[in-house]
Amino acid sequence: MSIMEYNGSAVVAMVGKNCVAIATDKRLGQRALTVDMGFEKVAPVTDNIYIGLAGLATDVMTLHDRFRMRVNLYKHREERTIEPKTFSNMVSHMLYERRFGPYFVEPVVAGLEKNGQPFICSMDLIGCINYADDFVVAGTAADNLFGMCESLWEPDLGPEELFETVSQAMLNAVDRDSMSGWGAVVHILTPEGVITRELKGRMD
Amino acid sequence: MARRYDSRTTIFSPEGRLYQVEYAMEAISHAGTVIGILSKDGIVLAAERQATSALLEQSLGSEKIYEMNDNVVAGVAGLTADANILINQSRMIAQRYLLRYGSPIPVEQLVRRLCDLKQGYTQFGGLRPFGVSFLCAGWDSAFGFQLYQSDPAGNYSSWKAACIGENSGNAQSILKQEYKDDEGDERAAGTSMEMDDAMRLACLVLSKTIDTAKLTSEKLEFATITLKGGKPHIDVLSSAEIDGVLKKYEAVLKPSDS
Repeated sequence: MSIMEYNGSAVVAMVGKNCVAIATDKRLGQRALTVDMGFEKVAPVTDNIYIGLAGLATDVMTLHDRFRMRVNLYKHREERTIEPKTFSNMVSHMLYERRFGPYFVEPVVAGLEKNGQPFICSMDLIGCINYADDFVVAGTAADNLFGMCESLWEPDLGPEELFETVSQAMLNAVDRDSMSGWGAVVHILTPEGVITRELKGRMD
Repeated sequence: MARRYDSRTTIFSPEGRLYQVEYAMEAISHAGTVIGILSKDGIVLAAERQATSALLEQSLGSEKIYEMNDNVVAGVAGLTADANILINQSRMIAQRYLLRYGSPIPVEQLVRRLCDLKQGYTQFGGLRPFGVSFLCAGWDSAFGFQLYQSDPAGNYSSWKAACIGENSGNAQSILKQEYKDDEGDERAAGTSMEMDDAMRLACLVLSKTIDTAKLTSEKLEFATITLKGGKPHIDVLSSAEIDGVLKKYEAVLKPSDS
């Protein structure tokens, strides 16, 4: 079993009309054993940026702490909050710094730029950025998520429609993956604020 | 006699003095005043800008007051270039602590580490000391609101009201007279002064110590740290907000006969 599959994860982000959605499952496992059903892989970075990290859980936790440190330093030095594109570049840089001893994570960034423009991207474990204008996926359920998103997603979905789409994509994808699931959380980022909802799914 | 013992930072004089450190303090006594006043629900920092010209783009960037962390704001007196290095260092110190311990650095810890850095330049390396004094105003969950003063020697102490820079002696005596110092429990800063009193006192002291006849927002920087929703909140006032403050305490600012 690969190190990226040891803990299990599913993360997806989607673009809507003036909004973005990012969703995560809640399972934390150790191979077949399930250890926690409340381990969310998505965390806020600023009011307008959320990052989800799929992969090895210890690296997920450590990187969240490191991002907080770097974003704070940026805020204090530049006297402004960091933008999604800039933040993604910083994440990519931090991962490539460890090119020959990498963090075993696959990040997914979702945010709204200053002008309200939606932004999503994903990266591989050594920081290769993939900018997308539709959706990005990561985790043990990535292939399943790709299939669900490709069939369910369409452009210019409003916040509520986007929520339905992301939720269906997440729930059905994790149901076909033994290593992810046990509940899910969806965050919808709009210019007015963030709406966070828990999904009711199969608890297995 | 002093000539022989002042060219190196790392030697004592026969009287037991470190001349380079004292010369650094001399440099600071020519810099713009910074006043800090502790109240029971927050701290006020007020500073006088020295570099003023109609051509300066004042709205961007501070000269005197900087945020070190989400819970600490500092006023600087002395060489701005030296201060920038120390401000950057203190920001790194604060974030490294947060990374390692998962909680915000207590104010005294930040001040101590910064002072340890400054002390190093008085004992080894052959480099001159930093010509900067700080007034650090901060809040942590262990000790509440605290105000620390630190000097180029690396000494620091906690104050209810303090002043650094030009005319600081004068300002300190006014503060001593006017500050309401009551008996209180150790954690509650031992004072009944509120933010409003502190702001008024800051304006009073500024008006007495600053050279120019009239105080305007161009010449001043103001910052406050208070609690909002149980979390520390730093507010570095904009020019418009400073004008508002000066207007509010106009009575105190009117030049007196004495």
